[in-house]
Amino acid sequence: MRAFNAELSKLFSLPGMWLAFVIGILAPPLLAILDSLAEKEDIIAGVSTRLSEVGFTGLGGGVQGIIILGVLAVSSEYLTESSESGGGNQITTSLTAVSSRLQFLLAKAGAVTVISVLLSILAIGTTVAATHLILGDYAPAFEASRLIGAVCYWTFTALLAFGMTVLTKSGIIPLAVLMINSSVVTISFLLTKVTKLAFYLPDMAGLDMFLSPSGGFHTPFTGGVIMFAWVTVLFLAAAIVFHRRDVAS
Amino acid sequence: MLTINNVVKHRGNQKILSGVSFSARPGRVTGFLGPNGAGKSSTLRILLGLDRATSGSALIDGVPFAELKNPLATVGAALDGFGAHRMRTGRAHLRWIARAAGLPRSRVEEVLEIVGLTNAAGKRVGTYSLGMGRRLGMAAALLGDPEILVLDEPVNGLDPEGIRWIRTFLRERAASGKTILLSSHLMGELAETVDDVVIIHHGKVVADGTLEEVTGTHSSLEEAFFALTTEHAGAVV
Repeated sequence: MRAFNAELSKLFSLPGMWLAFVIGILAPPLLAILDSLAEKEDIIAGVSTRLSEVGFTGLGGGVQGIIILGVLAVSSEYLTESSESGGGNQITTSLTAVSSRLQFLLAKAGAVTVISVLLSILAIGTTVAATHLILGDYAPAFEASRLIGAVCYWTFTALLAFGMTVLTKSGIIPLAVLMINSSVVTISFLLTKVTKLAFYLPDMAGLDMFLSPSGGFHTPFTGGVIMFAWVTVLFLAAAIVFHRRDVAS
Repeated sequence: MLTINNVVKHRGNQKILSGVSFSARPGRVTGFLGPNGAGKSSTLRILLGLDRATSGSALIDGVPFAELKNPLATVGAALDGFGAHRMRTGRAHLRWIARAAGLPRSRVEEVLEIVGLTNAAGKRVGTYSLGMGRRLGMAAALLGDPEILVLDEPVNGLDPEGIRWIRTFLRERAASGKTILLSSHLMGELAETVDDVVIIHHGKVVADGTLEEVTGTHSSLEEAFFALTTEHAGAVV
């Protein structure tokens, strides 16, 4: 519990974390507003086929903040100080403050999970408000089950970013891969055009918890289970590597 | 009590430590000396559970670091660099460490006072000078008021006043029965601070004893050090 408190304290005292919060709270409603505006005429005319997705698309596409959170939680430990200051990094302090590496990693993952849930709830608030602002009475109903799906999707995404960064020790690769995949071109989505197996990728399966990119290929529950399986496997791999790795290497 | 017992460390094909053994006893300041790359930091990292030994054991009060229940209250460590994220303030850095050890916030202010960093505690670590960063590292090591201190090059980057402070401070702690292990390559400074000396060269301990024993017939610790670590010198233990 102490290690968990320490991790929370670390995250909240890191300025980069506020960037994650700002993006996390603003990106989804912005996407939702754009989507709502694009669909508004069809929705009012009653011919929109995407009414149930409006708003949720913002939560599906606006995960950049949560990715930053997951990556930064780990990469900040490995950020090397300038050479004139001796070139140390925070991980040495962290691991001399908590003697068990597994405990350290679990505490950190726990802190990321808690903040992810909090951030996704805030994002849902801003997104629902933004959708109502644009569509007024025409705004779709936001069912609780799908909102819970969105919270799970955000949290799992943060944990995937977390696990990847433990393996790479630097935030650059996970940040580039996850950011590009979530915003510029959805590589996983393009892959689904090539092979049905791509529906088993974590982001595609996870989106099925509240959107349905696979067109009913997975139920929301199965989608969630598949994404959680990815999170678990990645975390186990990260834990094994982290346990064995020399800090100096 | 710190006990390093026949520690061997390989990294890839490189042999970094080949059977290092020595101990650091309570009530004494033990100086761990060696040229750059001799294996000082590797030994300290293995002692603190940061790196794994290929074989051998490094024990803190008889147990490996990973098995310590309350690490910060047992052993305080200040290794290379500041050990802090540059975007955090010095105070925020010490606060999360205090949380990890279940210590109150007031203890953070106490250690800031001890190392003379109270006025700079609200500044980001990235703006600290080398000397201030080292003081922050010392503050972190002292948070849990541990019985044992492990310090890697503690006087590096400190101004004369800082060096004097650390010398007095370490002597006082040793006098109160605490164990102190510090590495350094500054002979003159070390000779005035330590009781025992361990000299490591190419991953092997080449001398281990009290300051007087290691200095032996040489005119100073520095002379003894060069006699022991210069190639072709006779082995003296």
